[in-house]
Amino acid sequence: MVRILLACSAGMSTSLLVSKMKEAAESKGMDAEIWAVAQDKAFVDMERADVLLIGPQMRFMKRKYEEKAKDSGIPVDTIDPVSYGRVDGKAVLEKALDLIKK
Amino acid sequence: MNKFMQVLENVLLPVADKLNNNRYLTALRDGFMVALPLIIFGSIFVVLANLPFLDKLIGKDAYSAYQSALGPASAATLTIMGLFVIIGIGSKLTEHYGGESLYGGVAALAAFLILTPQTFEGVNGVIPTSSLGAQGMFVGILTAFIAAELYRFFTQRGWTLKIPNGVPDAVARSFSALIPITLTLSTFLIVRVIFEYLPYGSVQNFVYDVVQAPLTSLGSGLPATIVAVLLIQVFWFFGLHGQIIVNSVFDPIWYALANENLQAFQAGEELPHIVSKQFIDSFIVGMGGSGMTLAVILGIFIIGKSRQMKELGKIGAPAGLFNVNEPIIFGLPIIMNPLAFIPWLLAPVIVAVFTYFVMATGIVPPPTGVIVPWTTPTILNGALATNSWQGGVLQAVNIFIVFTIWWPFLRIMDKQYYELERSGEGSTDINKSA
Repeated sequence: MVRILLACSAGMSTSLLVSKMKEAAESKGMDAEIWAVAQDKAFVDMERADVLLIGPQMRFMKRKYEEKAKDSGIPVDTIDPVSYGRVDGKAVLEKALDLIKK
Repeated sequence: MNKFMQVLENVLLPVADKLNNNRYLTALRDGFMVALPLIIFGSIFVVLANLPFLDKLIGKDAYSAYQSALGPASAATLTIMGLFVIIGIGSKLTEHYGGESLYGGVAALAAFLILTPQTFEGVNGVIPTSSLGAQGMFVGILTAFIAAELYRFFTQRGWTLKIPNGVPDAVARSFSALIPITLTLSTFLIVRVIFEYLPYGSVQNFVYDVVQAPLTSLGSGLPATIVAVLLIQVFWFFGLHGQIIVNSVFDPIWYALANENLQAFQAGEELPHIVSKQFIDSFIVGMGGSGMTLAVILGIFIIGKSRQMKELGKIGAPAGLFNVNEPIIFGLPIIMNPLAFIPWLLAPVIVAVFTYFVMATGIVPPPTGVIVPWTTPTILNGALATNSWQGGVLQAVNIFIVFTIWWPFLRIMDKQYYELERSGEGSTDINKSA
């Protein structure tokens, strides 16, 4: 079971991506929990996630998240703008899995 | 060009970080978030209570009975929204410091009420609701900041009652809040007494005259609005969320303006301001998202010959109808795209100026101050915000303006993509990453 957390300002645009990522995970037969939250709630939800991906428009929050991530020991990264714009669930899922493996 | 972008990004990123993470601005934004469900509830009932033509349909008496039946819904929420914002700010700021947030919230509320006049037209024991809404908002915000800071200060000093073990936790906590709250509120009481001897008479009057009135008159003007809109667009151009960054500074002013409009609207008077929270939310953001990209999507559907454009239109349109536009911003892309720079910056400014003058001349009424959720689709959004069909028509005209400005630039982009695709160099499948 992998738990992927996405965050953007209100959790709106990332939730578009979530549904595409779920489709991608399903087609791979993966057991994954993927969800999106607003920027502040991410600090709380990080504790039960394996990885945190943030929308590129919120990348100025990355350092704050990384500080917090030291406690829970999970990787944090910004979603690549091209995949974000294309709502490319597959690419973002791959990226999340790569980050978890590291 | 690339180097220039890099330099600008290096400047903008820390600014965005500072504004978004400043503890006071964050508490302010989150404090408004606490009040938002109540404000929206109240707004819905203002809309229902003021449905156009209803008075002619059911008669004057029935209409006024209907209005007074719905009245308490907004009176208990919108009219006194300052109170909720204060609790929200007080508790969020206290939470930031790791304190007991609920006590921080109620301490802020009590501090505010201590500063508030408790007489009205000679009657004692009455708090005029006018000082709990827009007029009291600035005092409320400042009070909440200071109260939460004092509460934290006294708590961190360890000036609390030490509760012996064995006392239930809830009891212990309320006692440990006792001394910090007492000291905080006493401070405010002293401030109140001092102000009673000053020419302003009350802190409320002082802050209103010295801080709020100048700030709101500045914020309601066209120049400040253009600056705000431009800043939002510039931040977004670098792929940073301009709306939440700029709003953290402008929201208190825009909300105060909106609330003054609302009071006038409910009293059936002329609306005092053109620019307000809804001017931005409905007529700039509420047309497909920041930069009014609904028009861009329309352009993509009309112009798009390249596969990239067509696919992007399909992805972006459903979200765009509800004013979520990250797919367009990152997908067209608009960010860091020299071709998009001019229309991206120009269109919202021109629309803001145009909208301002159309409202100033009275062709379309300004927004009433009713909060329309930013996810409300265009046309409906404008009609609800202004309580008139003209608001919806104005949005349609604005979309057309934005569309015209984008047209030549979209054509060039589409042509480039199309030729890339035909020459087989570019990715022809949008699902393959470029």
